[in-house]
Amino acid sequence: MKILIYGFGRMGLTHYSILNALNPNLEFTLIEPNKVLSVLLKSNLKCQVLKNDTTLTDSFDITLITTPPFLHQEFLNNSLKRGDKKIFIEKPFGGHTNFESESLHKNVFIGYVLRFNPCIQWVKSNVDPADILSVKAQYLSNTIEKKPKGWRNGAFSGVLNEMGSHVIDLVNYLVSIEDYEVVQTKKESVVSDVDDIVEIELLSRGKRIFFLLNWVKKDVRKPMFGLEFELKDGRRIALDQQTINIFKGEKLLEKLSVIDLAETVPFYLRGVDFTKQMEDLLGNSETLCSMSEALKVNGIMNDALEK
Amino acid sequence: MKIILGDNQFFGINHFDLAKGVQTKSKFLDLKSIRAFITDSLNLGMDGFMINSNSLGYRLISEYQFDDSKEIHYSIPYPHKYASMVNENGMMSLFSFIVKNTSWISNIKCGLKLVATQNLVHLTPLALDIEVPSTLSRGSYIYLQNIITDLLIGMKRFDIIEQFVISCVRKGYRPGLITLNPILLDREIRKFKKTVVRDLIVCFNINAEGFNVFPSLDAIEDYIESEHDYKLMGMSIFASGAANINESIEYIKSLKLDYVIFGTSQLRNVKSNMELLRS
Repeated sequence: MKILIYGFGRMGLTHYSILNALNPNLEFTLIEPNKVLSVLLKSNLKCQVLKNDTTLTDSFDITLITTPPFLHQEFLNNSLKRGDKKIFIEKPFGGHTNFESESLHKNVFIGYVLRFNPCIQWVKSNVDPADILSVKAQYLSNTIEKKPKGWRNGAFSGVLNEMGSHVIDLVNYLVSIEDYEVVQTKKESVVSDVDDIVEIELLSRGKRIFFLLNWVKKDVRKPMFGLEFELKDGRRIALDQQTINIFKGEKLLEKLSVIDLAETVPFYLRGVDFTKQMEDLLGNSETLCSMSEALKVNGIMNDALEK
Repeated sequence: MKIILGDNQFFGINHFDLAKGVQTKSKFLDLKSIRAFITDSLNLGMDGFMINSNSLGYRLISEYQFDDSKEIHYSIPYPHKYASMVNENGMMSLFSFIVKNTSWISNIKCGLKLVATQNLVHLTPLALDIEVPSTLSRGSYIYLQNIITDLLIGMKRFDIIEQFVISCVRKGYRPGLITLNPILLDREIRKFKKTVVRDLIVCFNINAEGFNVFPSLDAIEDYIESEHDYKLMGMSIFASGAANINESIEYIKSLKLDYVIFGTSQLRNVKSNMELLRS
């Protein structure tokens, strides 16, 4: 199986390592324009390393585009032209301004890895979206400590694009955000020149959805998402990446943890969800985010930033 | 079986309950409180302690001395520092950081080899220079954190893992590897030089619940039973606090482990767990 990876930053490296461990018979080609990194990759990995894709004419079985978002569309076009069979693009697929497309390709998937979290999968299997009255979603981290350089301090970055897209995708995956209206947005720059803290309130077919995003929260060691669903029957489901608590009023009805929902993977790196995502990419791609879903996430981000 | 105090409680890490992690961290806001807890735990009879090379851990080892009869298990690197660096300034910032923060002698020696071969294996001794305080007593253990060990396993760069082991031994330390893929690692360690493996510890998750035990609890139990030239350390033995303590300890005692490590923010738990493990 032939795999092509555009860009070898942190995500390219993670996916490469997982894929390489899951299937020893994969043949990798890497596109990395940085000269020094490219030399290092050639000397350190068993794969073909190219500066750009101009010489590539044969199609690949799987292509991963793990570049900064402003390069996604160009490499997607090249991949489609070559006839690559499956194309995986790291979130948020071109950034918030990329919310429309002339054609929706069924073989294009976007890397919203949190979908593969066992707590999220539990909600997907056990909660009917029609029973949900309101949603509160948050993503907190201490990702940015100093002002970032380059594109990470520009319009394609910010907490909304980099982290908010994850929770917006989760809510859309679990609830399906249709016919929405952005009621209000609050944005704040603390460290970077773009949004570091964002609050968004949406209304979608009578459902009230609230997002709180903050990637400069110093007391958070590890990025953590949290979702809270208010249901028609009076129950409230609160979850993070490790626990699900089900309440009725103030009374805790049930507590489930990742131990109850434990899943196993043949190779572990950075989280069960990362391996599950690559297994899904190698397999029938049932859980991965589709192109149309990702464009909807971008549209919500764009509307929130424009508000 | 030696019993080592873990460090998750000092840094707010709880793989089962995020809120609990934050709560326990609030008890250890400064170096003094961390040092006092470690000293008290060692006085209660723990065989040693593990500490990560984050800013507090590095300072703890640089500024304080501990009972020579106790073991120090020091884990490197602090992944968040490097992840932030890559987030803020890209992948290449990692290399410039390493070059800027190591001694010129090491830089010349390893840098020349790196330039000549472009092989990242030559960065390993430099990484040790950066992450390990010179005051860390010789004979202590230095572990490679699982995020790096497992990344290298996936990349099939077992030579870098072996070089880490060799570099630790050359510097007078004993090597440790933390991994969540111990079976994959074991296959390769069997090919390492026997002389460097003798003092090696492989640290991995094991608990009766099978929580975060990969690829499966059965497979890991078989792995523990098999013969090794190195030592085994079980971590996450209480499934990050989700398990019944007594049952967990009975289970752990039934396994052929050389070391166990657990973290807690309560001295009474240090004492009771240790007594149960030794009973």
